Amino acid sequence: MHELYAILREITGYIYPNEVELHWGILIVVYPYITGLVAGAFILASLVKVFNVKEVQPTYRLSLLTALAFLIVAPMPLLAHLGHPERAYEIFLTPNRKSAMAMFGFVYAWYLMAVLLLEIWFDYRGDLIRLSQKEHGLKKWLHRIILLFSTDTSEESLKFDKKAVKFITVLGIPSAFLLHGYVGFIFGSVKANPWWSSVLMPIVFLFSAIVSGIALLLLIYMVTTLMRWKPIDMKCLDKLASFLFYMMIIDFSLEALDFLHRIYESEESIKILSQLVSSKLFVSLVVIQLLLGMILPLVALAATKLFPIPDELRRHIYFISALLVEVGIFTTRWNVVIGGQLFSKSFRGLTAYKMTLLGIEGLLMAIVLLLLPFLILYLLTLIFPPWPEAYETPAEAEATT
Amino acid sequence: MASFGKGIPDQIKRLSVVVILVLAAFFIGRMLLIPRDFGRYDHFRASALFDVASQEVEFAGQDICTECHDDISSQKANGYHQGLSCETCHGPAAKHTESPDEVTPFKPSGREYCPICHAYLASRPTGFPMIIVESHNPMKACTVCHNPHDPKPPQIPRGCEACHAEIARTKAVSHHVYIPCTRCHQTPEEHKVNPRTYRPDKPKTREFCGACHAEGSTEAPEAIKIDISTHGGRYVCWQCHYPHLPEAR
Repeated sequence: MHELYAILREITGYIYPNEVELHWGILIVVYPYITGLVAGAFILASLVKVFNVKEVQPTYRLSLLTALAFLIVAPMPLLAHLGHPERAYEIFLTPNRKSAMAMFGFVYAWYLMAVLLLEIWFDYRGDLIRLSQKEHGLKKWLHRIILLFSTDTSEESLKFDKKAVKFITVLGIPSAFLLHGYVGFIFGSVKANPWWSSVLMPIVFLFSAIVSGIALLLLIYMVTTLMRWKPIDMKCLDKLASFLFYMMIIDFSLEALDFLHRIYESEESIKILSQLVSSKLFVSLVVIQLLLGMILPLVALAATKLFPIPDELRRHIYFISALLVEVGIFTTRWNVVIGGQLFSKSFRGLTAYKMTLLGIEGLLMAIVLLLLPFLILYLLTLIFPPWPEAYETPAEAEATT
Repeated sequence: MASFGKGIPDQIKRLSVVVILVLAAFFIGRMLLIPRDFGRYDHFRASALFDVASQEVEFAGQDICTECHDDISSQKANGYHQGLSCETCHGPAAKHTESPDEVTPFKPSGREYCPICHAYLASRPTGFPMIIVESHNPMKACTVCHNPHDPKPPQIPRGCEACHAEIARTKAVSHHVYIPCTRCHQTPEEHKVNPRTYRPDKPKTREFCGACHAEGSTEAPEAIKIDISTHGGRYVCWQCHYPHLPEAR
């Protein structure tokens, strides 16, 4: 009650009583952000297998594991937001085909089981068999169980693995589009909300997801390579930065198109939306999302293409740009989810979002959910080592050093 | 029989076992876990209705309050809060009705509870008593001046803006700023004490506005003049123009 009263003081203009308090808080911001990272990381992985971009091969397995780590966490913000996570399995038992939200479980399960786990299994099978032969104890058994006790490393079976990986990746691209396009669809289909209701929403979500995924992999690749005391493959990094740059241009164009379309249409909501953008969302949309998260990294990445910049400086530019892009995409999700609830459906007033620090829907929970995928990724790299040195024999290792 | 599945790669055979196990778990899970009465009425468990009905009742309803607190009930019955149930402010009181001495209902105090309804908010209807909490008798608890069971203002409001703040603020920036409210609204003095019983009226004829705005009128020479016999057909002026902020300049 007292919180409600505190928000009452932040209201400007005319707002209906049931719009004072926001129902979708920071966790619903985290949810599309994380699913976006999953889709983006997977699309990057598909570049190697489907589009034969050899330069980014060093990030392939890392992308798959990153996608899996984030996918495991993706439903958690929803479970925390809805409460009663122990009942979550019921949406699988009695699917409600009329509800787009209820279908998420199936989109998720398809993506997890039919795409990611299968692709990882086929890709790692040969290497894990070789690894398990050298191992002892618990780790050996864990790997053998994961391999489903498969031991066949004949050339024929390894060839089949490769084919299977390619087939699953081809299947995975529309699946990744489905996973994140679906999240955009949920927002885009809320026809009563002019900030959300747009057919461009799933496409804008998708491209911003690809942008965030590539930027995340660029960061993870740089950090993990430095942590392993290995030299960074500049060809790979340049290619990643190029893809990031091109995807950002597409994403930026789409968002600009959406923006221009809204202004040209000038529906009755345009006044309150421009008020929203120039007041409550000014910092998060204009300053962080547009200037710091889009234009600044775009200019920086363009500079690396236009001018001969030494490797060391280029690495710094890439790192900072990717970091800014991550912050920018997070605020993109913030501006969609929170922004869409800040204005009254009377189009005559604005409310405020009071975020709590503690509690199941608070800031601390959001931070934990954003850090958890990195912990899971670390554990996954122990079970599925993504780096070539893990599979080298001691003689090979000596030769490379 | 031994040649069955010979052409199928080893990986597919192993994965098929997992897929079959997952599907079997799914279908067996469905058989065991979906309640028998699911879907009888709609997409929910029919017996959930009985579960909800069997929940402990927390609210007592205001009739039972009257049995012991008849003095307060009769006071409330004639006051502005007559439409509010006792438990709106005092919270669920079923337990209090069962053991009145052991369980005391919630009693709002301080100045944070009443503003949930009475803090200024543009979407509340005009005339609804609203205050700006920061400037309205700072630091005093609401109940020091107001009796919540019969919440009359402690003193008769001096001007219209005490209740019609939004209109007062709108009019303050309009061309009608110097016209007092009572020039257009004939207002009985009792309206200040019993606003809903004694209501102010509105101008009923076009000639009323014409006193200043009709061509040839000498009153208010700076006011815009119109031909009252042709302008606006048979409508009264305020059906098209908002007199608290007239748009014509």
